[in-house]
Amino acid sequence: MKFFPGCMIHNRYPGIEKALYYVFEKLGIDISPLEGSSCCPAPSITRSVSSELWEELAQRNLKLADGETVITACNGCFTTLLEVSEKSGTGDVRHVAEFFYTEIGVEELKRYVEKRLPLKLAIHYGCHFFRPSKHKKFTSPERPKMLDELVEVFGAESVDYRYKFMCCGGGGGVRAGATEVSHDLLRRKMDGIVEADVDAIAVICPLCMNQFDNGQKELSELVGEDYGIPVIHYVQLLAIAMGMDVEDTGLERHAIVSHSFIEKLVKGEKVED
Amino acid sequence: MNEEYLRKLNTCIQCGTCIGSCFSGKVTALNTRKILMEYLAKGKPVKEDDTIWFCVTCYACQERCPRGIPLTDILIEARKELVKEKGLPGRLKNAFGFLAEYSALVPARDEHAKLREELGLPLYHSQFVDGARDEVVEIVRKHLGGVVR
Ligand code: SF4
Ligand code: SF4
Repeated sequence: MKFFPGCMIHNRYPGIEKALYYVFEKLGIDISPLEGSSCCPAPSITRSVSSELWEELAQRNLKLADGETVITACNGCFTTLLEVSEKSGTGDVRHVAEFFYTEIGVEELKRYVEKRLPLKLAIHYGCHFFRPSKHKKFTSPERPKMLDELVEVFGAESVDYRYKFMCCGGGGGVRAGATEVSHDLLRRKMDGIVEADVDAIAVICPLCMNQFDNGQKELSELVGEDYGIPVIHYVQLLAIAMGMDVEDTGLERHAIVSHSFIEKLVKGEKVED
Repeated sequence: MNEEYLRKLNTCIQCGTCIGSCFSGKVTALNTRKILMEYLAKGKPVKEDDTIWFCVTCYACQERCPRGIPLTDILIEARKELVKEKGLPGRLKNAFGFLAEYSALVPARDEHAKLREELGLPLYHSQFVDGARDEVVEIVRKHLGGVVR
């Protein structure tokens, strides 16, 4: 299999990539980087400018995989590559979360857990993981449950919160094109998360991660609102549960760093065999 | 204008589900249906309407529309017309500039390359692979001639 990093993982949150290789190695699945791949490019904003550009760049990326399955860990990369591959009939594109859920399965994943992580998590799917359902047939377009079940693999609890299925405010070019609106949306979302009293926000997309992570930092600087809730990608959590050093996941390099959360991750609960 | 989209929009029963589903519409003046009706009914590009950039493309409206109208897809089409007229808003302009120069909408700076190095990860995004970057940049320039200078 080939890992497609896109810009956000390769250039901003490489810890996600490191964690992903760790998990695949544990599972005994061969995966290597898709060398020379470019920006996917991002689905909504690229199509807002040129659909032809969107398709041609995606096609180039798909061709590089030369028939191997392409694994993504970003909802934007997933959407672009999946839709273009369906349109052109080339390439097999998966998002790592639905791949784990469907191809490995929750029960099987549990067998690899060395350290349980009894955390309270606010789960955020990201709109483009499950919509539009025309292309994302594997889950519900309204209330997906996949990720809620996936965090149970290592004993974490998915806590319900207000606006759980609302957008983080990072998509569609709003973060760069209308930053204030993006901040307003993030505040709503964060207010709901704060009420739920969680250890962290768990995401499956680096764009959502950036919005929550750097977005919180921006809110703190701009309006003095200090939420201070750390954000983590599901593969980082899974890797830690499978024995990876917390340090190697790059978590301490995120914008929002919570030492109590990191402590909980380091400690966990050892699984006796 | 896209005939298929126009035909579909004309089946709207004004139920308001799309507007009620729109989170962005709760914090802004975004009214997708209105934008699209004007765009299509008048048969001309949406003009001077910045609210079109408030859509996060979450697809909630499109998913829930009882008449199966692809609202988000149409909105993206309408944006394209607007970009031709007015260019890109805010930092989106810079992002496409980056794509045309580095083959990445979000390029790495030195600090990011260094972090990868610290984590023991190679630099293999086209931004760092000479032949690949040139290939991508050529494709970008071919399509974005007028938009990114
Ligand atoms: S949901 Fe569909 S049918 Fe209802 S008002 Fe919106 S576009 Fe019209
Ligand atoms: S896709 Fe855009 S217009 Fe539709 S519900 Fe989401 S933000 Fe609103």
